[in-house]
Amino acid sequence: MLVQDQRVENLEQFLAQRGQALLRTAALLTGSVEAGEDLLQSAIERLLRQRGRVDGDPEGYLRRTLCNLAADEFRRRGRWRRKLLLLQTPARAPADAIAAVDLRDAMVRLLGQLPPQQRTVLVLRYWEQLNGAETAELLGCSEDAVKSAASRGLRRLRKLADSMQHDQMQANGMTARAMEERS
Amino acid sequence: MSLDVEDLLRRGMERFAEQVPVPTGLARRAARGRRRRRATRTVVACGIAAVTAAAVALVVLPGAAARPGGGARLTAYVTRRVENALASEDLVFVGRSGNQVSGDDVSWAYGAQNRFEEFTSNSCGQELANLSCTGRGGSQLGLAQGTAIVGGKLVNAYVTYSNRRYSLSPLGPQSASTCPAGDLGMAAPIFPTTHWRAFIDATLACGAAGVTGHVLVNGVETTQITGKAITVRLQPGYAKTVHAKWATARWTLYVNPTTYLPVRIYGSTETSGGSAGSYTSSYVTNVQWLPPTRANIAQTLVTIPPGFHRFYGPPGDQA
Repeated sequence: MLVQDQRVENLEQFLAQRGQALLRTAALLTGSVEAGEDLLQSAIERLLRQRGRVDGDPEGYLRRTLCNLAADEFRRRGRWRRKLLLLQTPARAPADAIAAVDLRDAMVRLLGQLPPQQRTVLVLRYWEQLNGAETAELLGCSEDAVKSAASRGLRRLRKLADSMQHDQMQANGMTARAMEERS
Repeated sequence: MSLDVEDLLRRGMERFAEQVPVPTGLARRAARGRRRRRATRTVVACGIAAVTAAAVALVVLPGAAARPGGGARLTAYVTRRVENALASEDLVFVGRSGNQVSGDDVSWAYGAQNRFEEFTSNSCGQELANLSCTGRGGSQLGLAQGTAIVGGKLVNAYVTYSNRRYSLSPLGPQSASTCPAGDLGMAAPIFPTTHWRAFIDATLACGAAGVTGHVLVNGVETTQITGKAITVRLQPGYAKTVHAKWATARWTLYVNPTTYLPVRIYGSTETSGGSAGSYTSSYVTNVQWLPPTRANIAQTLVTIPPGFHRFYGPPGDQA
């Protein structure tokens, strides 16, 4: 039991240093901090279960497990989760000067609407800053698959963002007209 | 309207990630969760724990990040983030240094503009033309070096306060060296007084560094990047003067794990291999990154004080 405690203590020390970075990735993969914490905890449990099979720095193992678990979770919840996210995403962003900031925030929400592979690839490419080859190695797929997933994911995000911006401009126009009418 | 989705996504992720707190007790919770799940199973319980413990103790020993393999990967990751941060952030660099012998130095840099100022020590007071000290008035500005705008053009400027002189020279190309050694042949610190971003970038790019841990700097956790020691033979004339043959420079960079911008740079230069024995001088530069306001950018230029005379001889003869 003492050895077990020591092991957890060591892991706690490692997480004190790298836990926030891993949690950020997990939160981006899941779309919320709470779900990210659950995901990271599951990954840590797997690490604890791996015993001698993980050699060296546990960070790579944890990151890979986060990606796999996130994809599993997404598949399990399937359509229902997608619908939930659509409900959570506000139809229109507030029409004011912080629209650009809203659009950035919306990007992260829209990210959650992408299929698991596209979302994971975008998080790894644009958050973890991994290149195509590194992403492919981590996900265990070809570099072409990574490129294709990234390109499809970005295209879809652009489409979602465009329609959101369009809605917002319409809302702005309507507000301006309403104000004119009122005055 | 066309959207830069990649940029929006990147910035959105950064904004989102800022809200993510530092997790605490995750390993314990995971261990508890695992124990709970294990208790529900009827077999296997006892023997596994010791074996698992031994294995993971190997995996997560503190400082594991510094080991080869995983460490190299972490280094590559951190290095890339630092390089990206340096390239993408539109900020003014301010570095304040001190060493055990002289007074403090202050460096300002923004783009091609830079200003380095060297102050005398408190006990020296003002430096005189013969390089002696008045011993009064505390620390005083002794040297300003960097870029100045003269006749609408950016030029190099060098101002010595002890003899009230300044010299100007055209802006030269920046060093394209991939593994900078600076003026180490003269046992100068490896760090530049100017072009900090380019120096950090080039040093990291040459791969002679590794992530060696995480330490607190001014109460904030930082990632420590340590460079491999660089040893060069001293230039003959200088070697004769200081009775040493070699100069070895060591440096450590401490970067903010959130922004990946350097917050502290430590360097030391050791001369050795001669009758004088070994002598080490060390430098600590605390770094701040300020917004590029007009006032901050103005600080990155050297101003020639009124009443100073222009010196036209070789730079080494000015002071």
